[in-house]
Amino acid sequence: MMKRMDEEVDGSVKLQLAAGTVLHGKWHGGRYEIERLLGEGANGQVYLVRHGSRHYALKIGADAADLQSEINVLRAIYGRTRSGSESFLVQVDDFTHASGRDYCFYMMQYIQGRILTDYLHREGSDWYALIGLNLLRQLGELHEEGWVFGDLKLENVLIASYGRVHLIDYGGVTAMGKSVRQFTELYDRGYWSAGSRRADPSYDLFSLAVLLIQAAEGAKLKGLAQERRRSVDALLALVAESMLMRPFKLWFQQALKGEFESAQEAASAWSAQHRSRSSFQRQRSSMRWLGGAFVASAIAAATAAIWYIQL
Amino acid sequence: MKQILLITDGCSNVGMNPVTAAAHAYAEGITVNVVGVLDQGDLGESGATEINEIAKAGGGLSRLVHTKELARTVQMMTRKTVMHTIQSAVHKELKHVLGDGSLEALPPDKRGEVVRVMDELGESAPLRVALLIDASASMKSKLQAVEEAIKDLMLSLQSRQGDSELCVFHFPGGRSGEDSALDLGWTRSLKDIPSLFSRLQMQGTTPTGPALMEVIDFYRKDDYGRGKNDETDGRRSGRVG
Repeated sequence: MMKRMDEEVDGSVKLQLAAGTVLHGKWHGGRYEIERLLGEGANGQVYLVRHGSRHYALKIGADAADLQSEINVLRAIYGRTRSGSESFLVQVDDFTHASGRDYCFYMMQYIQGRILTDYLHREGSDWYALIGLNLLRQLGELHEEGWVFGDLKLENVLIASYGRVHLIDYGGVTAMGKSVRQFTELYDRGYWSAGSRRADPSYDLFSLAVLLIQAAEGAKLKGLAQERRRSVDALLALVAESMLMRPFKLWFQQALKGEFESAQEAASAWSAQHRSRSSFQRQRSSMRWLGGAFVASAIAAATAAIWYIQL
Repeated sequence: MKQILLITDGCSNVGMNPVTAAAHAYAEGITVNVVGVLDQGDLGESGATEINEIAKAGGGLSRLVHTKELARTVQMMTRKTVMHTIQSAVHKELKHVLGDGSLEALPPDKRGEVVRVMDELGESAPLRVALLIDASASMKSKLQAVEEAIKDLMLSLQSRQGDSELCVFHFPGGRSGEDSALDLGWTRSLKDIPSLFSRLQMQGTTPTGPALMEVIDFYRKDDYGRGKNDETDGRRSGRVG
């Protein structure tokens, strides 16, 4: 009975491409062999494909205008900033499906990684602080170019080796000052009654704070989000309860209340709070050293005493 | 751009056929979207068919959802409909140029510029959304979710760059037997939305068709009041904004 929104657009059935299917580019003539489905975004599917001797990720859009507007954003971002390296956006074309319908697609670099919760589970929560910082840096770069990521969420961030982060779905990317094009309730500032849906740096910082809470206390966050009286204060209470997040308590407060002017400012605050925790831990461990030294000297003294008695 | 968003949980049972009423709306340049809310069971075959038909006649979209998905659905439908309105206006222009109205007929390089313009219009063109809420007895348990969805929609609308307004009707109207009643006139800001349905008397009948006609009338009078110069009917003029 219930239908998903994306299935209903002009009554078309969802596209399913089996492994081994070969797509031929209509305008540029390339050959793309489907290997498997990597994931599904709000406005399309992403497949792993073989093109020439290499693997790429290929996104197929249900709607030509939606996908084109994502391509426009990718062109604007990668056309200007990362001209030195190989382009992230490799090719844009259409193909004709067996059903006779044309679909548009674009091909991009294939990025391997894990979602944040999996990464922390496997590699340990020691990586939490670094990944937080790397995400702030990525967002900062995007903001400097005049864009807000918009739909920041677990599924849209991949963590590669050594905690390197990649933002992977650009469907929500919005020019500063416009209304956020696509968002997910859990991470949406409006959903938590904490501000508007206008694209500004603090919109992304709010979503990032929710994502970092999810990485530390996923189940509790899920519970909170379903409550009618969900609020930023409830989120902050969750932060204060968690060993992992507590050192960043002030940072979370500023991010959730929209007090940072920019991602750069938020990144400095994040590092500063991380360092003050580390120095606190160092202090504690040096105390332990001192304690150890005390025990050692006490043993030495006792040994001396025994010597003395034996004499 | 003008939209009507009908939120209901059952079949109409009084007065004019709502499908005809929706076709009237479309002829006046108003797109009609319909959300069917269901918590237990479903609307039944005829309810689902009616919702679908109303949206088709009104040139809009229809969805069946649970109350907890209501806010998200209302927001997405409104946004999608804005883009569809812009697209059909742009396609009409493209037809003059290309002889084929589809975006896919353009090579990918040229498509980019057209879509950039469409995105710009979708964000900046003036938009009005009239919500029409079924307040028959069975909707009672769902009205709180409806009110939250309205506030959530206002939040999204006021984040747009273009002028965006919202108004709210419920149907049937008061005790004296009106088909609908205005709860909130044109509003631009979330802070102007009071508690909407707290004192509402729930009634038995569902005059969906007549209520739709009253909202169309409200738009017509409103347009007359605003004068013709800010007419934004993209479909007939082929021009939006």
